[in-house]
Amino acid sequence: MKKIFANIFLVSLLGLSVSSCKKDYLETFPTDQVASDEVFGTTINAWGAINGIHRSLYVQYLGNQDQGGISGNMIYMDVMGEDLVMTDRANGWFVGEYQWLSHRNANSRVPYFNYYIFYRVIANANMIIGNVDNAEGPEADKKAIKGQAYAYRAWAHFNLVQLFGERYVAGGANDGPGVPLMLTTTTEGQPRATVAEVYAQIHKDLDEAIDLLTGYDRANKSHLNVNVAKGIKARVALTQQNWALAAQLANEARQGYSLMSNAQYMEGFNDYTNPEWIWGVHQQADQQTYFYSFFAYMSCNFNSTNIRGNPKAINSALYDKITDTDIRKQLWDPTGANTDFPIPPHTASTRKPYMNRKFRVADPNISIGDVPLMRAAEMYLIEAEALARAGQDAEAAQVLFELANKRDPDYTLSTNTGDDLIEEIMIQRRVELWGEGFRWYDLKRLNLPLDRTGANHDPTLARVLEIPAGDKQWQFLIPQDEINANKNVVQNPL
Amino acid sequence: MRRILVLVTVLSFLYSSALSQTRLVSGRVVGANNEPVPNASVTIKGTTTGTTTKADGTFSLQAPEGAILLISSVGFSDLEVSLDNASLIQLRPTGQDLSEVLVVAYGTARKSTFTGTTAQISSKEIENRPLINVNNALTGVAPGIQTTAGGGQPGTGPSIRIRGFGSINASNDPLYVVDGVPYDGSIANLNVNDIETISVLKDAASAALYGSRAANGVVMVTTKKGRRNTTRFTLGVTQGISSRAIPEYDRVNAFEYYPLMWEALRNALAYSGTTPLPTASQNATNTIFNQLRYNPFNVPNNEIVDVNGKINPNAKLKWADDLDWTDELLRLGNRQDYSMVLSGGAQKTDYFLSLGYTDEKGFIIRSDYRRITGRMNINSQPVNWFRTGVNISGTITKSNQASDDGSTSYVNPFYGTRTIASIYPVYAHDPVTGEYLLDATGKRYYDLGANRPVYNGRHPIQETKLNENNFKRNVLSARAYGELIFTPWLKFTTNISTDITDNLNATYENKIVGDGAPGGRARRRATKTTSYTFNQLLNFSQKFGNHSIEALVGHENYDYTYNFLDGFRNGQIVDGVSELANFTTTSTLNSYVDRATIESWLSRVNYSFNDKYLLSASYRRDGNSRFSDKVRWGNFWSVGAGWRVDQEEFMNPVTWVDQLKLRASYGTVGNDNGIGLYPFRALYNIASNASEPGFLQASFENKDLSWEVNKQFDIGIDFGLFGNRLTGTIEYFNRQSDNLLFEVPLPISTGILSVWKNVGSMFNRGVEIQLAGDVIRNKEFSWNVNVNWTTFRNEITKLPDGQVEIISGTKKLMVGRSIYDFWLREWYGVDPNDGSALYRMDIYNASNTRIIDKGATKDSVTTTSNNGRYHYNGSAIPDFYGGITNTFRYKNFELSILINYQVGGKVYDATYATLMHPGTYGTALHVDALKRWQNPGDVTDVPRMDNAQVGIYNAQSDRFLTDASFLNLRAVNLIYQLPAKLLGKIQAQSGRVFISGENLALISARKGMNVGQTFTGVTSNVYVPARIVSAGINVSF
Repeated sequence: MKKIFANIFLVSLLGLSVSSCKKDYLETFPTDQVASDEVFGTTINAWGAINGIHRSLYVQYLGNQDQGGISGNMIYMDVMGEDLVMTDRANGWFVGEYQWLSHRNANSRVPYFNYYIFYRVIANANMIIGNVDNAEGPEADKKAIKGQAYAYRAWAHFNLVQLFGERYVAGGANDGPGVPLMLTTTTEGQPRATVAEVYAQIHKDLDEAIDLLTGYDRANKSHLNVNVAKGIKARVALTQQNWALAAQLANEARQGYSLMSNAQYMEGFNDYTNPEWIWGVHQQADQQTYFYSFFAYMSCNFNSTNIRGNPKAINSALYDKITDTDIRKQLWDPTGANTDFPIPPHTASTRKPYMNRKFRVADPNISIGDVPLMRAAEMYLIEAEALARAGQDAEAAQVLFELANKRDPDYTLSTNTGDDLIEEIMIQRRVELWGEGFRWYDLKRLNLPLDRTGANHDPTLARVLEIPAGDKQWQFLIPQDEINANKNVVQNPL
Repeated sequence: MRRILVLVTVLSFLYSSALSQTRLVSGRVVGANNEPVPNASVTIKGTTTGTTTKADGTFSLQAPEGAILLISSVGFSDLEVSLDNASLIQLRPTGQDLSEVLVVAYGTARKSTFTGTTAQISSKEIENRPLINVNNALTGVAPGIQTTAGGGQPGTGPSIRIRGFGSINASNDPLYVVDGVPYDGSIANLNVNDIETISVLKDAASAALYGSRAANGVVMVTTKKGRRNTTRFTLGVTQGISSRAIPEYDRVNAFEYYPLMWEALRNALAYSGTTPLPTASQNATNTIFNQLRYNPFNVPNNEIVDVNGKINPNAKLKWADDLDWTDELLRLGNRQDYSMVLSGGAQKTDYFLSLGYTDEKGFIIRSDYRRITGRMNINSQPVNWFRTGVNISGTITKSNQASDDGSTSYVNPFYGTRTIASIYPVYAHDPVTGEYLLDATGKRYYDLGANRPVYNGRHPIQETKLNENNFKRNVLSARAYGELIFTPWLKFTTNISTDITDNLNATYENKIVGDGAPGGRARRRATKTTSYTFNQLLNFSQKFGNHSIEALVGHENYDYTYNFLDGFRNGQIVDGVSELANFTTTSTLNSYVDRATIESWLSRVNYSFNDKYLLSASYRRDGNSRFSDKVRWGNFWSVGAGWRVDQEEFMNPVTWVDQLKLRASYGTVGNDNGIGLYPFRALYNIASNASEPGFLQASFENKDLSWEVNKQFDIGIDFGLFGNRLTGTIEYFNRQSDNLLFEVPLPISTGILSVWKNVGSMFNRGVEIQLAGDVIRNKEFSWNVNVNWTTFRNEITKLPDGQVEIISGTKKLMVGRSIYDFWLREWYGVDPNDGSALYRMDIYNASNTRIIDKGATKDSVTTTSNNGRYHYNGSAIPDFYGGITNTFRYKNFELSILINYQVGGKVYDATYATLMHPGTYGTALHVDALKRWQNPGDVTDVPRMDNAQVGIYNAQSDRFLTDASFLNLRAVNLIYQLPAKLLGKIQAQSGRVFISGENLALISARKGMNVGQTFTGVTSNVYVPARIVSAGINVSF
């Protein structure tokens, strides 16, 4: 009896154990991630892959507080120029970049981040370009998705070659090292293509993008439409000193976008529905970037230690060049005492001379805000500059007038010509695009020196006031981790 | 170790009973000093009949003729006594006797015939220590176990490494097994009073039955059971106080700080700049206040420091009583522990019921830990052929935690108070008069330092007071089994167990100061960990003449689920409520579920011939969901052999050798931990763009990825000499880690930073020695010394292809180097001419290279750390480490002293480096800064103060490497066994009072340095260990 009972018990237990061991028992899947093959099953999912790239422009990178997406690159580009002035050390963020140290340290997070963010965009774009054709769904969707992927790949390679490669010289061989061209999904490191090869590929991708995006009516300005693709191409042409192409594409890119009113100009540069914005990051409350957002450093009123101690200011010499009737003159406070300028609601907040109120958050407790990536004003400025540099002074002055007169009703058509006109346009450009991440790129493409002298830079904090044009420091070092893992890549001159 | 001679005197009387053939046996159980051992269990072997000794150690029971008595008591090895031969027997405490029963994987083993190696710690060794976290019991007590210092955060314990470091990128933590089942909860859930033994499985022969999870060793915790035919009720109360065990670094005071910073400014102008020295001095005198922005003295701002760098002799502090930032944060912590245990059993059933309450207040405000534990362990054998039992425990924990997780985060109380210069007041003061400023209600208010060059707008005290950071954790653990005993030699057991942890983490950051200001923000993170283990085991055990065979086969399923829910909201609506409903804007709302499973087949065979020649083998086959179906099934095995030399006839003449065993084992085990749950899959992360669904590429596929393999070899000798007065073990081990789970870096340009691969190899080879000896052993007094010593060498033998070196933080991995070899810029010294910091030069650069002429040789050095050359300098791994326990016993008193030590190895004292800056305005300075270079010709190792050289003169270099040797007075216990007379008055059977101290003294190379903080040998600003002094009483009825 006892044996029978025991045997029944034993068999039933073994039965239990067998039933729990189905074949899929050992197959487990995450619930907050998606398998790659699912992403490209349908165009509906593939839209997610392009949306992910949009999102990659406002997520935190590598756990670093100064790298909340593309805004990290934008701020680096300004603090390394002369037009943005750091008013104090505060908690130290961006000081090493202001001092021109970080980007020349191959082990620093700064070269790493600037390299990674753009190659991450490229890798995601390559997955789309390589797989979206097989997805199920309408052809029009595939075109729109793929077109944006091409535009992103071009834009990312373009930023990379400006940061890490040698300067592009029109008419030159441009056969110095650019950056690796990544055109397929791979785990193999590629060698650095020449500067010329990188630019050729950028144009190829942009032409593909313009072709695919023509006729695409985007849902919102965080997406890339044909105007964005043309705007990028205008920037590329300007950098290559291809004035005619730059002027033409800048003009085409701004079609359909009007300049904002002076009232809108004072609204804080945080809303991508502004009529002038062609492309921008759009952020919603539950996709916060906390203390690593653009506005955590560049706004005047988000309540961060950095802004309380180090509100960002404009170069006083540049400020002095703005006419009193220009709306843009109101963006900065030369006295550091104007209480109309909002500051964080905190007893420890400080005001500094020449601090800005261009960038503001709606709620000083929340750092979110839309970040401008391309505005019509920039296209006016590209067109004017390209025309002026091409010698078409009258046309250039006219394009400039359209923008400058909008900002300053008292502005009259410029009578400057030649270098004076170019200088006037460049001042307009520096004032208009202050804080939007252009200055370092501009200095490099124009082969200008860094010159912070004669202004409100604190020499101790800035460490360097001058860097000669063409110095090796105009190339970021390739991050050491890339060199370690990619034997095909060579470092820039140390 | 507590070594007692237990004397059992059996006085027997023969009853002439023809029917029963039993007689009344009575006796007395005593210790070495003739003190009675109460409550010892005395049972007749093979039956459930038994009794316990009384307070005076006596017992009596009816026993059949020829019976054998089994005598057991907590902390002693079980002893078998025949009625005829029971006049005088020696018992040994657990841990020293080869007859001891060890807890091993899926069962128990006799130490005498075991071929593996384990360290076992019994309840007796920890019951008088004020331990909240089990891990604290492992420091210093056995060889091969290395622990960190642990932190003072209430409820926490140290990290543990067994026999070196087996993994580079995956986890090095051992597997925890509680009551036979891998445990996914926090080890802090366990009430130390409930623990019978902690058994650390160190080699493959012991651990291979845990297969793909056992590579880093196994810590097996077994909880207490009741004893049949007894009833025992125990009450225990412990009360203690706690304070910081490691003092603060010595830092300069306000009178020293101002002149030093004056120098930093003056030298920045004169040495780093081009200002002539006299002008620079005048400038510094005039403007140093502008840099530090607070004048704590009653002299004008431009007269604090004169042009010679001397503090104004008339300077007196305006807020001398308000410079101590730790005053409001530190407190005398306390620790209370109450326990109540009812245990015992009837003829066929035993039970153990326990209730414990622990309340700890850390020595930092707003850090505490309250834990209620309950346990019910019932085992029953209703019929001869069936045994069953259930062991259920619940733990409820509520804890406030000090915010020490970010080493340089402003709310970290250790960072803030350590690094704020000694001139800044805690409260707001009138800058002229120095009077306290009062708010509208007439109260002092905190100085948020709008103008302070550091911690602008921040305040570690106020933030700590106003913020909330707590967790509530509810844990349920259950183990149940049924066992069928077919025959005495064959039984079938099935175990089903579950561990469920519900954790709710709540944080709130206030509206007034800190990251949460001005709106206020709060987070609630709810997680639930559920794991099930279900196994079926068939056990065989039989003797055939001299051949004895034990065998086990089994099957097991493991199923782990983790639920995560996280909400974070901004914009507090009404004050005083920190729940999410009371906020306006959602910043994060997220949830996910993770799952991992393992299915296993396992078996083991032990064979012994005549108890002299021992062989054992084990095998486990694991299917693990972390790896792809291509490779997920793996085989793990071990073989072991032992030879009990003392059993040989030729040893008979060697009377001074009581025990001698040689043993060796080899086996393979795996490591699957620390790599995430889906490391082989190609995945996209969800990354929505505003309201549009989105994904971002996260990983490449690697279907070949598999566990890391540890091949472990162990050879050892166990011995007992001179009447077992000297016992010990000497072992050599070789842990070879292959197929290391490596997060292999990819070119950044591929867009994915790394992929998990099995590449690389590393070994840990070492020697362990444990010796225990009775220095003095007599009736009144005994002195026992127990020493353990471990040394090991860690070396990387293979790295991923193409990765000649991997630099990570202060370390560089290379073949031929250890995992923790320091790779730092080489500090050269200070140039006596101008006080420049000098580093060994990397590349010649005219602007920063200097040639130091040393006569015969010339050294090329640089003044800029960026051009400093890296080199290897030492390792964080010590030359050897271990512990020494001295136990003294006199009559009813017992004193035990545990010291743990480490010799050799280096520590990068990063916190000290922070305090040795050359002039960061507002940041505190270590007193060593007073030795800085001042004038040409000064020979010193501290460079000149120079604000322009911040980050260069105190750059990360081997200047801040410090000897990591230490000696820590880890635990001292003084126990007094209450006399039987006194106990008899309250009808108690046993009782003791004790006082104990933990972390009483630390000797290391620098005051303030948390030398044992990490295995990697880098210090940071964390909750330093606590010193606990406590007293307690424990009485059993």
